[in-house]
Parts: sequence; structure tokens; C-alpha cells
Amino acid sequence: MNKPNFNYAIVFYDVGEKRVAKIFKICKQYLKHYQKSVFRGHITPGNYLELKNKLKKAIDPDHDFITFIQTISESSFHEESIGNTGVSPESIII
Amino acid sequence: MGKSSDTRYIFSAGDLYQKDFSIAFRKEDGNFYIPIKDTRELYCFNDITLSTKLLQLLAKAGIVVHFFGYYENYIGTFYPKEQLLSGRLTVAQALAYEQNRLQIAGQIIKGIAKNTYFVLYHYYRHGKSELKDFLDWLRKDVSRLVDSVGNIKQLLRIEGEIWARFYQSFRVFLPESFAMNKRVKRPPDNPINALISFGNTLLYTKTITQIFHTHLNQTISFLHEPAERRFSLSLDLSEVFKPVLVCKTIFDCVNNRKIMVEKHFDKKLNYALLNELGRKVFIEAFEERLNQTFEHQTLRRRCSYKQAIRLDGYKLIKHILEGKNFVPFCMEDKK
Repeated sequence: MNKPNFNYAIVFYDVGEKRVAKIFKICKQYLKHYQKSVFRGHITPGNYLELKNKLKKAIDPDHDFITFIQTISESSFHEESIGNTGVSPESIII
Repeated sequence: MGKSSDTRYIFSAGDLYQKDFSIAFRKEDGNFYIPIKDTRELYCFNDITLSTKLLQLLAKAGIVVHFFGYYENYIGTFYPKEQLLSGRLTVAQALAYEQNRLQIAGQIIKGIAKNTYFVLYHYYRHGKSELKDFLDWLRKDVSRLVDSVGNIKQLLRIEGEIWARFYQSFRVFLPESFAMNKRVKRPPDNPINALISFGNTLLYTKTITQIFHTHLNQTISFLHEPAERRFSLSLDLSEVFKPVLVCKTIFDCVNNRKIMVEKHFDKKLNYALLNELGRKVFIEAFEERLNQTFEHQTLRRRCSYKQAIRLDGYKLIKHILEGKNFVPFCMEDKK
């Protein structure tokens, strides 16, 4: 009954070479570019639907594969990273 | 893990431009992409080039851009064409200024007193008994004084006294290197004045953005004179948040040694200006505080301090249009 209000999403995609740039362009309007084919960030439920529908139109459903993970916020999961990212896409100060 | 925030502070020099219907920032060491749908505000502190094409996009998305000069002084705001216009409210707001100004301004001053009390009481409880006189005055006398005055000048005098005594009380609980004798502006002359000025500027611009998302007219204010050339309503609404947002961030940074005089201030300018590292520390602490949430007592849900500023705008609208009592945000009641 009470559906939680998802406000944070992680998107990873595996798409044909031709469509990579297209998917990238759509995703970067909504989320922060985190890894080569991973985006993530804060997103409102309305914007999430918008993003999903845009991606749906852009992919070839027989060959491409996109996963969305939704969570309540960035503090509701634990994460461990190794290595160096260079510039952090999520810093508030550029 | 990154902190979620819909604000970006740009301290590097570079070009801000439009790419693929989103925002891109080109600087020396590469490009930086800013998602347009997850941005509300941009702060530009450095030499930044932007194009009208970008402004077009920002206007459509309702993103507000604040510009600052070399000495962190506020230059101005790119304020997109108002989407939320309401002639009815503007007329009512002007009428409220004519008929009801004293009452609204009085409420704001009571709000300042309550929030100052809340902030200082914490230190009183932890053994700073020198604060007792001031606290008693805030609690008992201010609201009586406010109710007894007949014009706006007298109200402003009460406000001045609250701030003066508040700033004087700083030396009770802040380390000596941050002691403060007198509030000095334009330009500030010592570290603590510099922190207050910088914090107030940030809060002022934050409030502008929040009011932008309501139907209120930014130029008709109640406590401050609705002067030309600036958004004085924002000064009004930000006033009650100063003790709880700006000053508490300062106390936190100073008392926990996150900001130190030798390390975070510009030595050449007599320590009267934050250096780059200092600004970053302060902004991060300030953003964190703004995005902190609390349980709102009327709405019965969690809400951030940033939203609380907008809610104050809505309260003002309710007062103007429906005659509901305007009581600004109060830290103690959490509403």
C-alpha cells in the first residue's frame, strides 16, 4: 500500500556501440556520470519516469540492456570503492 | 559517498556552456557535466564565461545563477523570467505593506529573538551563565517591546539591539582568536566579521532562490525598506534563519577547529577574507546544515531547512491572502 518514495537512482547500461552516445546524452540531463556506463544521483519520481520513457524509446529492446536501481537516498546503501576516480562528479564545489 | 545537493559552487575559472540540453563546465583539467534536472542554483565565484544559449536553457529550467566578485562580494543574480506571476498576490502584498507592515515586521523580530534564544540557550545549559541576562531579555522583554512600539523605526532599533547583544555574547563561547568587538561590514575587518558576512550573503542568495519558486514579489518587503535595486523581501525572510543557519554553522566550524585563523584566512588582508580552502570548508558545512531535515510539526513529515525558507514564503502568502497569522520559522516549535 505505502510505496516508498524513491528519490535516488543508479542506472547502468550495456548497449550497442551506435546507441552509446545517445543513451549518454539522455542520462546526463538527469543524473551524474559516475563510471563509464554508470550514472547515479538524486532524482524525483516524476523525472525518473521521464528518464525511463526516454531511454525506452532510444534503445533496441532486442539487443540492449539497461538496469535501474532505485533507493530512498544515498545514505540507504553502503558502498566501497577502490582506485582513483579523478574528479568526483558529485562534489558540490567545482 | 557524494552528498546530494541541487547547488553547485564554481570556484575554478572556465566556460559554462550548453551541451546536449544540459549544462557543461569546461575548465583546464577537463569537462564537468552538471545534470540540468538536478540543479536549482549555481554560484559563480571565479572568472566564468557563459553564453546566451546557456541562459536560455537555464531560464527554461528555472535555474538561478548567483555571481560574486573577487572579494566574495555579491554582484547579482541571473533571475529567469518569472514563471510564477500573480497580479492578485502582488496587489495584496502591496496592500499588506500599507496596512499591515508593522505587524508582519514585528513577527519577524519576535522570530529573530526566539531563534537567537534557542541558539544561545544551548551554551547557557552547558555552563555559560553569563548569558542569563540576555536570555531573559530575549524571552520576556522583546515581545512586550515589539507589541508596544508605534512605528517601524522603533522596531528597527529593537532589532539592532538584539543583533548587537547577540554578537557581543560571542566572546563567551568562541575562542579568543575569533573574539568580536563590533560588527563591521563593507568590508569586514576581522575573521568573525568575515564569516558572518559571507554566511549572510549565502543565506540571502539562497532565500532569493526559494522566493523565486513562490508567487511573492521580491521587491515588496516589510521589515526592511522596500528600496530599489535589491530584493529586500529576501532580506526579511532570511533574517530569522541567520542565527540557526549561519551562526550555528560558524560556531560549529570554529569550535570544532574546522576553520582556523592562520589556515583559512587571507593573511595579506589582515585575516579579513576567507581563502579558498576556508570558503570550501564553510560552504560544505553550510550546505550540510541547509539539507539537514527535521520533523515539521504542522506538516507531520520531514523537511529540510532549505524547504523551511520556502515554507515561510508560503506562510506569508497565506497571511496576505487569507489573513492567517504570520509566524516565521521557529527552531523551538519546529514549524
